[in-house]
Amino acid sequence: MENLKCNNISKSFPGVHALRDVDLTILPGEIHSICGENGAGKSTLMNILAGNLQPDSGEVLIDGRAVKIESPQMAFTFNIAIVYQHLSLVDSLSVAENIFANRQPANRFGFIEHHKLHEDTRQLLDSLGLIAIRPDTMVFRLSPAEKQMIEIAKALSRKPAVLILDEPTASLSHKETQLLFTILRTLKESKVAILYISHRLDEIFALSDRISILKDGRSQGTFMLEELSREKLIATMVGRPLNVLKDFSHSRPDVLLEVSELNGAKFKNISFKLHQGEIVGLAGLIGAGRAEIARALIGVDERKSGTIMLNGVSVYFDHPRDSIERGISYVPEERERLGLFPEMSVRDNIVSGDLGIAEERGFYSVPKATRVAEKSKNILRIATPTVDQKVMNLSGGNQQKVVLAKWLLTNPKILIVDEPTHGIDIGAKFEIYEILRSLAAEGKSILIISSDLPELLGLCDRIIVIREGEVAGDLPRAVATEEKVMSLAAH
Amino acid sequence: MTTAKKLFSMAYWPILLMVSIAGCELPPKDDSLKTRDAYTDDADTVITNEEYVMITTAVTMPMYVNHDQAAFIRWGGKMGVKVSILGPAEWDVPAQINTIEEVIGTRPTGLLINGTDPAIAQVINKAVSAGIPTVVYDSDIPGSNRHAFLGTDWYEIGKMQGEEIVRLLEGRGKIAYMGILGLNNMESGFRGLLDVLKRYPDIDVVGKFDDKANVEEAARIASDVISAHPDIRGFCGFDSNSGPGIALAVREAGKAGNIKITTVDWEPEHLQLVKDGVIHMLAGQKRELFTWYGAQFLYDMVHHTNKMAANDAKAGITSIPLEINTGLLKITKENVDEFIK
Amino acid sequence: MLKKILEDRVYSLLLLLVVVGIMASILFPNTYPTFDNFRQILLNLSVDTIVAVGMMVLLISGAFDLSVGSVVAFAGCLTAYLMHFYQLPVPIAIAAGIASSMFIGWLNGFLIAYHGINPMIQTLAMMGIVRGMALMVSGAGIQNLPYWFNAIGQSKLLGIQMPVWYMLFTVLIFSFLVNKTVFFRRFYYIGGNELAADLSGIRVKRMKVIGFLLASTLAGIAGILLSSRLGAALPTMGRGLELRVITAAILGGASLSGGYGKIPGALLGALFMGMISNIMVLGRISGYWQEIILGVILIATLWLDKFLQKKYAPIT
Repeated sequence: MENLKCNNISKSFPGVHALRDVDLTILPGEIHSICGENGAGKSTLMNILAGNLQPDSGEVLIDGRAVKIESPQMAFTFNIAIVYQHLSLVDSLSVAENIFANRQPANRFGFIEHHKLHEDTRQLLDSLGLIAIRPDTMVFRLSPAEKQMIEIAKALSRKPAVLILDEPTASLSHKETQLLFTILRTLKESKVAILYISHRLDEIFALSDRISILKDGRSQGTFMLEELSREKLIATMVGRPLNVLKDFSHSRPDVLLEVSELNGAKFKNISFKLHQGEIVGLAGLIGAGRAEIARALIGVDERKSGTIMLNGVSVYFDHPRDSIERGISYVPEERERLGLFPEMSVRDNIVSGDLGIAEERGFYSVPKATRVAEKSKNILRIATPTVDQKVMNLSGGNQQKVVLAKWLLTNPKILIVDEPTHGIDIGAKFEIYEILRSLAAEGKSILIISSDLPELLGLCDRIIVIREGEVAGDLPRAVATEEKVMSLAAH
Repeated sequence: MTTAKKLFSMAYWPILLMVSIAGCELPPKDDSLKTRDAYTDDADTVITNEEYVMITTAVTMPMYVNHDQAAFIRWGGKMGVKVSILGPAEWDVPAQINTIEEVIGTRPTGLLINGTDPAIAQVINKAVSAGIPTVVYDSDIPGSNRHAFLGTDWYEIGKMQGEEIVRLLEGRGKIAYMGILGLNNMESGFRGLLDVLKRYPDIDVVGKFDDKANVEEAARIASDVISAHPDIRGFCGFDSNSGPGIALAVREAGKAGNIKITTVDWEPEHLQLVKDGVIHMLAGQKRELFTWYGAQFLYDMVHHTNKMAANDAKAGITSIPLEINTGLLKITKENVDEFIK
Repeated sequence: MLKKILEDRVYSLLLLLVVVGIMASILFPNTYPTFDNFRQILLNLSVDTIVAVGMMVLLISGAFDLSVGSVVAFAGCLTAYLMHFYQLPVPIAIAAGIASSMFIGWLNGFLIAYHGINPMIQTLAMMGIVRGMALMVSGAGIQNLPYWFNAIGQSKLLGIQMPVWYMLFTVLIFSFLVNKTVFFRRFYYIGGNELAADLSGIRVKRMKVIGFLLASTLAGIAGILLSSRLGAALPTMGRGLELRVITAAILGGASLSGGYGKIPGALLGALFMGMISNIMVLGRISGYWQEIILGVILIATLWLDKFLQKKYAPIT
């Protein structure tokens, strides 16, 4: 294959122009990144190439020949493979069966040759450096990162000419990300065209040959890597300059929360203090036990021993209901799985943390809920036509704002946020930072768990590093650097 | 909470209460106070849209389809009148009642109702007081004002099986019996069986089982009983599927012929098992006669075939038999060939 | 406007009911559009609807209960048994019948929510156990129930038999509660995303127990009402009712995966099924066809729903 070309692609959904006259050319042997805020049309474009959607107008050309990609199966016949952001693996099947789903090697009677299946899988995994994963392991036993790697292996097993990756590193650790990059660079050598979609600017700059930028469904141009600076990229994407993080603390001397010697299934001897108005970060590798600490704090998981003092009083929660009532709210990680009611409206989601706020004269009132939701929508600038909209139709950043709005309505004294900017675009990220900072200014304490180091460094008054379930260090803002945190976290 | 609650109770309850008192109508204290026969058709009325409706439950049960329904349809063809068969596919008595209630509104010429349960008495009385000639078949419904009943005495079915099994076992040995528990007719059958057996102290009844009208279930129960009591000598079955199920288990245990089986019904499968010597006696019902003559009674009643008075209805009588016992068939190896078609 | 009607199952079903009603009136002008016939249709679906209301609440929360049909039989039989064999006063026997159904529901919910037993397996097992208990207490069925007990289901108000009024009352009360109270709204959240609901401070386990308790209690009340209407308690009452009721609720807009449904939908779903079966009785169409036609209608409705969703909902 010589090249893949999109000419004047347009696609609209009821009420939204997702893509307007987008042109794009992808060449073999290049890594081509697509940048844009959520809702800019990246996913729509990708879904058109993958055969999940049909453009309203415009055409897709392969080697100069116009083609219609009518289904994902058809995309495969054009050698286009896609790695989805949302995992498409079947948990109850083995790694090998997942990778060769629906095209397992079979003998002439149509029976699956398990031996060959496993052998082919082994070879593929070895070539990708995934030596630790066995072909017959059940997928549900794998970590999210391993699952993502299997997803990539699945796409590669088709030996594609065009490989599309949508946020492939969202659940990968640093090491795995590096491994993925090595794989991608090797593929590039063998003249595979790679379309790479990511929110992580560092990755885009580390990996890409060319970068195309989308904004509001329109192409903002394709640039060689050398032509772009970080600032220029952001400005093109967002369409306005962003304030850089300010070094300012709202921390006050009163201790609001004191955790001492907390022990749980995945962590031990956790002690720390949280002051009023302070923003404290929990850094660490994925699986270090940070989310588990948060879950124990709010009473989802049981704690084995240790005390939690709130305002100097020892507290025990056996359900999040209790912690919410005492002023501790937890904004969970994995928005869609733990934070949202995807098929319910924005309104229903916003009031879900405390349904009582939608009560009027003792009864639940939809107009009251709508008023409350509208107010939150305006304050947090949630982009949705109405609060009746199903929340799953919103972009990731707006979904995250909905989740934040919901927890802010519970009026917490302490807000624990877990990966608040995971998978959302840079404009929304900065808005969320602003919200968190203004909360701290109001005197609320914030405990933030994040795998995005620059985020923690920019936002936090203090960073506590967790390694294998234990506190490995407690760094004030003045001394915290990326290197120090990483060296404490990894070891 | 409190304000809304108050509003609710203040506004709605008194209205509701007032309406209830004004419009409430209690059911009659005693059904039998009504005239036995509300059928008021005049002798010279022209009958239009003549249609006879049969309502049963478990309308798909093969025994019903092959005997009751087949005879009823044959009768309709011979007489040249419209016949319809209605009812739920499952054994669902409330649904049968619902169907009868809905049919009453359409005013058929006559109703032929399978007497599945005493609980249908009320709706039968409703049909009768709506002036629809109503005949019950299979099991009688006590407390109903039906115009006629045709059927078999289930107590006799049990008694016949009891006497035969006692004869086959020469008055001693262990036996078990099964059927659908909770059905009125079967329970009378069980009583008939036990009344015979209790006269023979050497007969030991090891259990009463529910085979849920299911061949596999009957076979499973029978084989469990055989394992638990290797010296079991007889089985009695009370529903259509009991016999084939027991026969299967006995055959698999290699005891065909040694363990005596009596059961009900005479479907081709049952007859073959008698011929093979696995089942020793069938207590058969003459189900064709239930619906054939049941329909004929309705016809004769409507057409005043046998007029007793100048106006039977006014005289408070009916011109058809009140109760018919169609009797039982006793099928054994000796006469089984006569039944195999 | 049309889009709105097609999107909300309560309206689209209502529209369908009107269309079917008009067609039936043309086909059977003398027998279908009569007060007597409608009174009969409503009476015949009243027990199913009361159970369907409870099932709707459960389905909203993402669960269902297969034991309700057996509970209908057991509660009716136990109440009759206590009145007939122990001469207990009517209110006490009824209270005992309802209490027994509450216990069954609580046990279902407790084992499912707190011990993680699969709801389908748990309620399937309970369906067998409770049916067996109904057989045990009632034998071949219990007749000759006290006059005042029968009066509960056989009295009439404005010419319509009481069960219809109880049904309407239940539907009204629960529509109000589910729409208007925070307590019942929680079921939507549990059905929408159980994990998120728990983290949102909803005590999911406790609410699940309450859901099963409610479904079972309504089934018990329905069973007692059915016995009263029939003037007899049969151990075979409510056979196959669980699937009928789930079908009605699904027709009425519920989804097996939870989060969707409105209480009036349960009534409309049951009404639709009742109308179809009534039309088939009027048309003298036999029982086997009834099942086939209902199955086809269910699939057609769900297919139509998917089709409309595809047509109107944006893909993102």
